[in-house]
Amino acid sequence: MRKSYSLSLAQRLYLPAVAKGLAVTLRYIFRPRFTRQYPEEPIPKTVATRGQPRLRLNEEKAPACVSCGMCEYACPAFAITIDGGETDRMIEREPKRFEIDMLRCILCGFCEEACPKEAIFMSQELEMAGYTREEHVLGLDRLLRPNEEFEQRRQFLEGNHQRWQQDDNAEAARSGNKDHHYSPTGSSR
Amino acid sequence: MEITWIRAALTLLVGFGLMMSLAAGMSLVERKLSAFIQERHGPNRVGPFGLLQPMADLIKFVFKEEYVPNSVNPLIYKLAPAIAAVPAMMTFAAIPFGFLDGQPLVIANINIGVLYVLAVGSLGIYGIILGGWSSNNKYSLLGGLRASAQMVSYEISLVLSLVAVIAVSGSLNMSEVVAAQDHHWNVFLQPVACLIFLVTMFAETNRHPFDFAECEPELVGGFHTEYAGMRFALFFLGEYIAMVVMSGLMAALFFGGCDVPFLDIADTPWWLGALAMLGKTAFFLLLFVWVRWTLPRFRYDQLMWLGWRVLLPLSLANLAITGLVLALLGPEGGHA
Repeated sequence: MRKSYSLSLAQRLYLPAVAKGLAVTLRYIFRPRFTRQYPEEPIPKTVATRGQPRLRLNEEKAPACVSCGMCEYACPAFAITIDGGETDRMIEREPKRFEIDMLRCILCGFCEEACPKEAIFMSQELEMAGYTREEHVLGLDRLLRPNEEFEQRRQFLEGNHQRWQQDDNAEAARSGNKDHHYSPTGSSR
Repeated sequence: MEITWIRAALTLLVGFGLMMSLAAGMSLVERKLSAFIQERHGPNRVGPFGLLQPMADLIKFVFKEEYVPNSVNPLIYKLAPAIAAVPAMMTFAAIPFGFLDGQPLVIANINIGVLYVLAVGSLGIYGIILGGWSSNNKYSLLGGLRASAQMVSYEISLVLSLVAVIAVSGSLNMSEVVAAQDHHWNVFLQPVACLIFLVTMFAETNRHPFDFAECEPELVGGFHTEYAGMRFALFFLGEYIAMVVMSGLMAALFFGGCDVPFLDIADTPWWLGALAMLGKTAFFLLLFVWVRWTLPRFRYDQLMWLGWRVLLPLSLANLAITGLVLALLGPEGGHA
């Protein structure tokens, strides 16, 4: 059975609707373009951008890392390899070899949260392209970045940690659990 | 005054160059305008603003392998693209671009120009049918069949709408039709015919919203599914040249051709007239693209319904009324 609809003459002519449609598309021609021209027009990055992990050089231009292995342990993708060694500096230990396999890295940021020395940070570098597997295994020479580069990120993380700590304390007070401790990864391993 | 050989040769060269560059330019304009309508940038990597994109496309098409599938009929398969493209190119010869020294600026000043365009233009459909048929593929065959059925049903209304125009102008020669429109364009004398021509011109060139021969979603490209490389490019070229010719017909027969508003055709410098004609043609070419990215495709039965139940009676009535009015006005009727 066909239902009968009552259409006005203008609707049955179809042409007014066509004109209306053309007006809509005409308006869209002059709208700003939605597409971003990627390589020329980089992706906007904020302090919250979790790019590739990088190591921080301290104020004396030496690696801040003490090769404790916390990041290596926290890494769920087993992307980090550290060989520690002794040093004459105050901190006594520094990495002799620090490698991040960017083909394994999942940019989760656990290493950054695990680090007790604020030595590893997620940078805003996102682009990785290359011809061999080897060039994606980043050593100390390509990981170390000056101190200033991470200042904003450090403050951002500090704010985050404070907020989480407050939430956590409030939660602990509600549940009456005195032994509750904040854990960066949210799990107690 | 006799037209010199040099002038004829120049007109031919410039006309052919103009047609090919319009068709090539349309392939870019189509992609650019569709991109703008969808808030994209469109091709902009080859040359400034992507202006050299047609060149890049051509080079790609030329260097592609001339692949002939096993199941096709090789002779017809190879012949079909040429049959589709060549008649479209031939029709351009009769499109007038103005007057120079009182002589029409046209490749071939044929005294039955309108008939010639319609007759030769209809041959292009053979290319589409044969292409679809020789591909030995059910979707291609369906595309070809649809194209032929659509052409048959729409060409009648197209021709009938033009007959009314010819009756008003009193000539089959395109240049004379243009000259007769000095100060009163046919679109004002024959608005219904203009509307019918506008609708049927989309069907005649197999363009959206009547592109049932291609119909990507249901026929996976229709008649040109099995084609690639330069043969596909020829189908493409044929479609775009047919668009150029149809837009030229629209401009010349309904919108005064080289006539600039408020100027006598005799007083208009030839370059201004040609520019006016080119501008009007360009507008309708843009309209083709604009409509394509606005309207949804018709359903096949709706297409047939529109062609036979609406456009045909309308164009017949228009012709009858035109004839009646012209008869009542006497031999001095029409433009005179």
